[in-house]
This record gives sequence, structure tokens and C-alpha cells, in this order.
Amino acid sequence: MRHVVTKENSLDVKPLTEPVLLILTSLADQPRHGYALIQDIEQLSSGRVRMSTGTLFGALRRLLEDGWIERFEQEDTSRQKQAYRLTGAGRTQLQQELDRMKQLTRAGFARLRASEAI
Amino acid sequence: MKRAYALFLLLYPREHRDQFAEEMTSVFEEARNQRHHRGWAWYARFALAEMMGLISGAAGAWLSQATKPSPETSVANEAQSGLPADLLKAQQRVDLITAAMVRAIGNHQFERARVHSNQEREARENLRVLREKYQINE
Repeated sequence: MRHVVTKENSLDVKPLTEPVLLILTSLADQPRHGYALIQDIEQLSSGRVRMSTGTLFGALRRLLEDGWIERFEQEDTSRQKQAYRLTGAGRTQLQQELDRMKQLTRAGFARLRASEAI
Repeated sequence: MKRAYALFLLLYPREHRDQFAEEMTSVFEEARNQRHHRGWAWYARFALAEMMGLISGAAGAWLSQATKPSPETSVANEAQSGLPADLLKAQQRVDLITAAMVRAIGNHQFERARVHSNQEREARENLRVLREKYQINE
């Protein structure tokens, strides 16, 4: 079993799963409805991730409960085609996660370069 | 296929179905209709992935429902802290943004820190309004 110890501040550290990260990233520039999210995520991941509706709506439910996204009323959308958008809290979480990944990427490349130089 | 999808949706808790079933079915049909020309192999993979997604999604929804604090627990937590839930949430948001701002400054990301600073101002204003509403001093 793998154990990961994170900083004790639960507000500060909330690990994002890949579906959640992809959904937040997809909603970062504009509101999207369900199928548009699936398409955009497929494009974002260069075709690697084709999210099923079960995975998508499971993640959307959690994000709505956490207040990271909200339903967005569009005049031309029916109940069958709800649009979602990021809230301020969701944007902050996404920024934090991207910062964390940037730092990790930087550190990883630095170590690779160092090991190549030896 | 639509019938099978509807049957698998029955695995979900009623609360989830009421909220999402119609929309999930619509998205599923849109995905299926726009790509069915890709051939039977693609369709079989798609159908399998969808069914597996529904099974794991339903398991997640039941788990989430089982671990969600009951309204009684929420009331108890509110009573314990003596603060309404929306005010607690607003306070948590201020804390979250402040932590992000401090980290940004520590990383010399001053542009990012400025963004957080603006967010913090808004969050504090929201908190102030809620405190006024509930007549609670800092």
C-alpha cells in the first residue's frame, strides 16, 4: 500500500484527480455543456482521454457540491443541455494545482539535467 | 443501447438520477450519434467504456452519499462552531486564497500574488456582508 503524507492544511492542499483537473482546465476559458466537455477534454489530452458519461457526471457532481463549478443559465439550453462554468473557488484551485505541477515539472527537469551532466 | 444505458442508470442513487439522468442520457446519445460512423470496433469500445463508467460512477455516487454528512450533522457542526454554514464557507475561502497568495509571494510570482490579492479583497467583502447579515463580529 502506498502512503502519501501531505501538508496538514486541508484548505491549502486538496489533490485533484485527473478527470477533475481536466474538467477545470476545460472550463477555464469558457462555460461548456456535457458533450462539449467530453470533446474538449479529448482534444486537450491529444486524444488520450475519452471521458465516459459516468466519469464526467460523477466528477461534475463532486465539483458542484464543492462549489468549484456552477450551472450556468443559457437562454438556448434545455434541462438536457446544462452548461457549467468555473466559480472563483474553482479557479483558485486550478491555479494552485497548475502552480504545483509547474514546480514539480521544473524540479524534475532540473534533476534530469543534473543526472545527464554527471 | 439506449435501453441498456437507462438500465445501468438505475444503479445510481435516486438523488443523482433526479439531478443528472436526463442530461447524461442526452450527452451519451450525442456522443454515440456523432461518432457511430467510426465502425463496429470503435462502437464496441465506446459501449464498454460507457457501461464501465456507469458502474464505477454509480459506486462513487453511493459512496459519496454514504459519507456525506447528514443534515443533522451539518446542523450539529454549525451549532458546535456557532456559525452558519455559508459564513464558515466564506471564511474558508478567505483562508484558502490567503494561503495561495502567501505561496505565490514565496515563489516570487508577484503577478499571481496580485491576482490572489484581488480575489482576497472580494472574498473578505463577501465575508463582511455575511457577518453583517448574521450580526456577528470578527
